[in-house]
Amino acid sequence: MTTGTARAIAVSVLLCGGAFRANAQVEVIKGKHSFGVSGFTGDAAIAGQVTDVLKNDLRLSGYFSLAPVSSAEYVQSGSVRGDHNGIVVECIVMQQATKKVALSKAYQGSAQDLRRVVHKLSDDIVQTLSGQRGIAQTKVAFVWTHNGAKELAVMDYDGYNVHQLTYDRSISVRPRWSPDGRKIVYTSYKNVFPDVLEVDLYTGQRRRLASYPGLNTGAVFSPDGLSIALTLSKDGNPELYTMNVQGGDLRRLTHTRAGESSPTWSPDGQAIAYVSDESGVPQIWQISKDGGAASRLTVSPSYNTEPDWSRPPANSDMKPMLAVTSRVGGKFQIGVYEKGSGVVSPVAADGADNEDPSWAPDGRHLVFTKTQHWRPQLYLLDVVTGEQVQLPAVEGGASEPAWGS
Amino acid sequence: MSQKLLARTILIGFITAVMSTGCHHGNGAGANGDGGTGSESSVPGIGSGGGPGDLSGRPMVGAGGLPSEGQFAAVLFDYDSARIRPSEESKLEAVAAYLKANPGKLVVEGHCDERGTAEYNRALGERRAIAARDELVKLGADTSRMTTISYGKDRPADPGHDETAWAKNRRCEFVVVNQ
Repeated sequence: MTTGTARAIAVSVLLCGGAFRANAQVEVIKGKHSFGVSGFTGDAAIAGQVTDVLKNDLRLSGYFSLAPVSSAEYVQSGSVRGDHNGIVVECIVMQQATKKVALSKAYQGSAQDLRRVVHKLSDDIVQTLSGQRGIAQTKVAFVWTHNGAKELAVMDYDGYNVHQLTYDRSISVRPRWSPDGRKIVYTSYKNVFPDVLEVDLYTGQRRRLASYPGLNTGAVFSPDGLSIALTLSKDGNPELYTMNVQGGDLRRLTHTRAGESSPTWSPDGQAIAYVSDESGVPQIWQISKDGGAASRLTVSPSYNTEPDWSRPPANSDMKPMLAVTSRVGGKFQIGVYEKGSGVVSPVAADGADNEDPSWAPDGRHLVFTKTQHWRPQLYLLDVVTGEQVQLPAVEGGASEPAWGS
Repeated sequence: MSQKLLARTILIGFITAVMSTGCHHGNGAGANGDGGTGSESSVPGIGSGGGPGDLSGRPMVGAGGLPSEGQFAAVLFDYDSARIRPSEESKLEAVAAYLKANPGKLVVEGHCDERGTAEYNRALGERRAIAARDELVKLGADTSRMTTISYGKDRPADPGHDETAWAKNRRCEFVVVNQ
């Protein structure tokens, strides 16, 4: 077993046991730098907003615990300038003990871009002090239930700048991003029957990728962006297929009497994990992207659905992990599958119904749906620390999130 | 272009046209994308009948969407099951008898209760619809007159959150679309 595998497994096992001290590898990842934000000089309104966004980003990154400036390992100082032409944010981060400047940089943008400007700064701080890719500039797509319809929306990873994508007054669900972050494929009932559509976020153009008889759903891009896996029922019952991104070159992968759904590509793009109830209960299976014999991955708990493979960057401390939704004691919880063991270890099991896990590009954070009192809302989870944060609530309900690049 | 392909192209154009009249054109900035009706028809393969889909099996549905359910009794299912219970056979016999005596196409809707993940329930609802359709075929109905649609857990019959509601929501409904 490689060190990396051991580390990934240790993370998920220890999260449920809460005994992090048992493994030195985990402590390296889990260790947070204490960080003091002293704020920004200049226009008080702008400075206050910049400070708030920066603190929230640093907290959500998982790499920092905010601390009083006097006792922090790293200390931030800076200034803001703003007028109708835009804003400039200057920031210095210093290691307090050595007085060494870790980061000194200026950022500028339009006044409406303030949050984006600070997200860039936050990611630079994460990259500089941890060597890891930050998530502050990423987006999350989700299903927004309101006015009796399900519409797609996209927002910043922290829940701000919600932007509605569809206005169909129909059912639009299960969004998934293209690897370049430009397109989203999803399932639409706009033309009555469930079809797979694609929306180009740059042009707003939509096109229909699959509209076969029966069910067309579950579309997901391969890591190279050249193929799409999806579920179709045109040949008798829900089976897995792949096609190219134009909707052509359709290939059937599975041949069972059961239902296959929710495909997710393995990080190397060679295999596809999915849900099948071939064994009598829904479990996670895997098949080569070219078809052939399928193998069952999960054994317990007795109900596992919604697999999502992480794809951490090459230099990441995180290893690829498969998140799933398990049903235990009548409740749904998020778990991480341990390769080879068949076992799923819970990472978000708290008595609420937690579903729809989707990995951030850092392979460390998940966005998921938590349903309490029958109202679904979105949460972020840091699988290293086990910390959950609720995103700003949206009117109606939010579900089926997909974390983009 | 062959007659079959031509007919298919016209059908697709019709669906696109009727649906777009029922669409709300949002005023949100950027990619609200309701121009999609225009771009959809320009997708390679769709207009020519090859490629991404085969709409020929679908009934034409007007701008108002499918007719309301309720003409037939809903066929009910056990939790997480797509097996037709013996108790539901007579409901299917009534649907099959109607189809034999009347024209039109039948849309078989599969639905689930809320206890299940969204995408899994879309597959389960489809399997329920397929199980009901296959049973109707055994009872003498013409398979080419039937289309399935799964709503997963998105359209419960009863909005409640208890077993009484769930039992009503694990169901197949049948609607007739006349052409």
